[in-house]
Amino acid sequence: MIEIDHVWKVFQTSARQDHLALSDISLAIEDGAFVSILGPSGCGKSTLLYIVGGFVQPSRGSARMKGKAITGPGPDRGPVFQEFALFPWKSVLGNVMYGPRQQGMKYADAEAQSRALIEMVGLKGFEDFYPKELSGGMKQRVALARTLAYHPEVLLMDEPFGALDAHTRTRLQNDLLNIWERDRKTVLFVTHSVEEAVFLSDKVVMMSRSPGRIRQIVDIDLPRPRRRTELLLDPRYQRYVVDIERLFDDGSEAELER
Amino acid sequence: MILSETLTKRAAPYLACLGLLLVWQCASLGLNNDSFPTAVEAIRAIPSILGDKESLINFAASLRRMAIGFGLAVVISIPLGLMMGRSRAVASFFNPLLMVIYPVPKAALMPIIMLWLGVGDIAKTLVIFLGVSLPVIYHSFEGAKAVEEKMLWSGAAMGLSAPQRLRRIVLPAALPEILTGCRTGLVLALITMITSEMIARQSGAGNILFNALDMGQYDTVFAMIIIIGAMGIGFDALFERMRARLVRWSEQQLDIPLSFS
Amino acid sequence: MKVRAVATDLLLGLVPIALLVGLWQALVSFGYAPVALLPPPGQVFSRLLQQLLTDTFRQEIASTLLRLFAGFSIAVVLGVSVGVAAAVSPAISAVVRPIVGVLAPLPKVALYPALLLLVGFGHESKIMLVTADALFPILLSSYYGASTVEQKLIWSAMAAGTPPHQILFKVVLPAAAPSILTGCRIGLVISCIVVFLAEMITSTDGLGHVLVTAARTFQAVDMFVPLITISLLGLILNGLLEALRSYLLRGFLESDTRF
Repeated sequence: MIEIDHVWKVFQTSARQDHLALSDISLAIEDGAFVSILGPSGCGKSTLLYIVGGFVQPSRGSARMKGKAITGPGPDRGPVFQEFALFPWKSVLGNVMYGPRQQGMKYADAEAQSRALIEMVGLKGFEDFYPKELSGGMKQRVALARTLAYHPEVLLMDEPFGALDAHTRTRLQNDLLNIWERDRKTVLFVTHSVEEAVFLSDKVVMMSRSPGRIRQIVDIDLPRPRRRTELLLDPRYQRYVVDIERLFDDGSEAELER
Repeated sequence: MILSETLTKRAAPYLACLGLLLVWQCASLGLNNDSFPTAVEAIRAIPSILGDKESLINFAASLRRMAIGFGLAVVISIPLGLMMGRSRAVASFFNPLLMVIYPVPKAALMPIIMLWLGVGDIAKTLVIFLGVSLPVIYHSFEGAKAVEEKMLWSGAAMGLSAPQRLRRIVLPAALPEILTGCRTGLVLALITMITSEMIARQSGAGNILFNALDMGQYDTVFAMIIIIGAMGIGFDALFERMRARLVRWSEQQLDIPLSFS
Repeated sequence: MKVRAVATDLLLGLVPIALLVGLWQALVSFGYAPVALLPPPGQVFSRLLQQLLTDTFRQEIASTLLRLFAGFSIAVVLGVSVGVAAAVSPAISAVVRPIVGVLAPLPKVALYPALLLLVGFGHESKIMLVTADALFPILLSSYYGASTVEQKLIWSAMAAGTPPHQILFKVVLPAAAPSILTGCRIGLVISCIVVFLAEMITSTDGLGHVLVTAARTFQAVDMFVPLITISLLGLILNGLLEALRSYLLRGFLESDTRF
């Protein structure tokens, strides 16, 4: 589905110095896979996501979606941002209807579809509320509904639950999986939480500290559907978490020694 | 590369001035109207104005009034604004009064004030005082309101009394906002001064301007515009330098101010 | 429930005015001010009503309003378009910012004689002065509003399929709307002030002219009438703009700026 081919990204900082954010990233993401990109802050994982999204251009190398080069954003790759990025001048319904309307759907159809989606993310009754009247968790649900509304083939999620409290976060993780189970879209999920990555994904791509490189890709062989209460007690889940954390610790120690 | 970037940034205002003068020059040459002298002609008239004793007396009077009006306004408005910002009682008392005065053109009060206080300096200074007070009060108010509660709690824990906290915590913390208000006030002071002199002609730069207009000395008219414009820009630039120095520690605020009329 | 909120706001807004009028009356009644200098409010308001019934006064108001609206509208169109353009295009910004930086602190009223020479003593000079003065706050707030639009909002819209040329109208302008409307409010107040002042300096008609004429004949009551009129006009127009702003920005994040 998505091919990332020897991608490098260099940023020019305000001090007029070059910052190497991504270093020779190559990755293939299969159709229908839930892939997490895991790494410490500043490792460039969001940058990688933005490159796939077409918001940022790689300095070298290319990203391709179904064989075609990615040159800009588009409804085939729908983003869900940590900051929610809802349109504050539109109601919940207005936000969710934006994509379908943009694609030319008739008002009545768009509205019906949007209402169904709003119900699916658990916000029935809040259609006429404005973003400023919603809690963080609710805003993120709207953001998810808004992106799902225009049926992207790939979901690009940039630490979507990072700004939420622990309780809301676990609820949304569950809800996300429930929604994902329905049509099994391809998901690229950026996070810095090992537990989150293992819980949600089929594959965890571990990235090193800046400059970002892929250190290891771990296949998560846990059955679906995944229930948090079951998984927390499952030794295989625990093994994955411990192993991945150890990999990170080893790596960072090695870097410190340098 | 870096050098030329900062250089162009600093040269930009001068380039803008030059550009505007150039546009003027071309426009006046193009329109070829007797009452529209070229930029060059206007600039040439400047030295004779500045050399004339009478004009200098007028300018001095203008600047004196502006200084007194501005100074008094600042001295009174800042404490008032700060107190309003920290005490709901004080705020509710003054707020309605200020809200009504705000839309009234202060310089338009000139004739009425002249009726009461005659045509002298006091009338004009009073108008300037009123014009400057409002933005300074408003910004001091907003600045004081925005001071973090926790800072004041720390001060109280250290044993500072309420008036001490106002002077030693609220004032410095609100200083960036206060100075923004003063900058607006400065611009307003100049404008109110000129306008009041145009309405109640007795002395001052506005008076020189309109005298020249009446007597058909168009070069002088435009020369005065350049001088007054230069004053406005000059004062603003100087104030901005001082302000930047004083609040070096604060975060960057909106870089171009919202200048009022 | 919304109606009640509006009603209470309106009443609260009237209280300061009532207080001021009360203070005014008190000053006169208690002899702090001689009647020749400060006529009692009753006298002023009845004269105002009397004037409103005359054609000539209504024409003066019409003149003033015409200049006010013309100047303000031009300032809005110019200010918003240039401000937003400068926020969106670095090239335009590089040209506009220094020019605005130079012209903003310049007392535009000093240009008034030049305008009189160029376009005469009629409506045009006043309209141009109003535009010149109202332009900058509108331009600056439009620039500020448009340049602080969250990048992620634009990205979200692009991902939803919005083509680049529509981003300006579908994302940037709505997101910048609160700032732009604040600038317009300031611009409106300035327009009221400037048109009045310009008419006071030189004019053959308009409310400012009415005041100056009355001043020449030392008619205190007749001096207060145009002043009250322009203040009332200003309040009404401001109120209308606030209503428009509330309507356009319903549900949007608003900061409470009283005063």
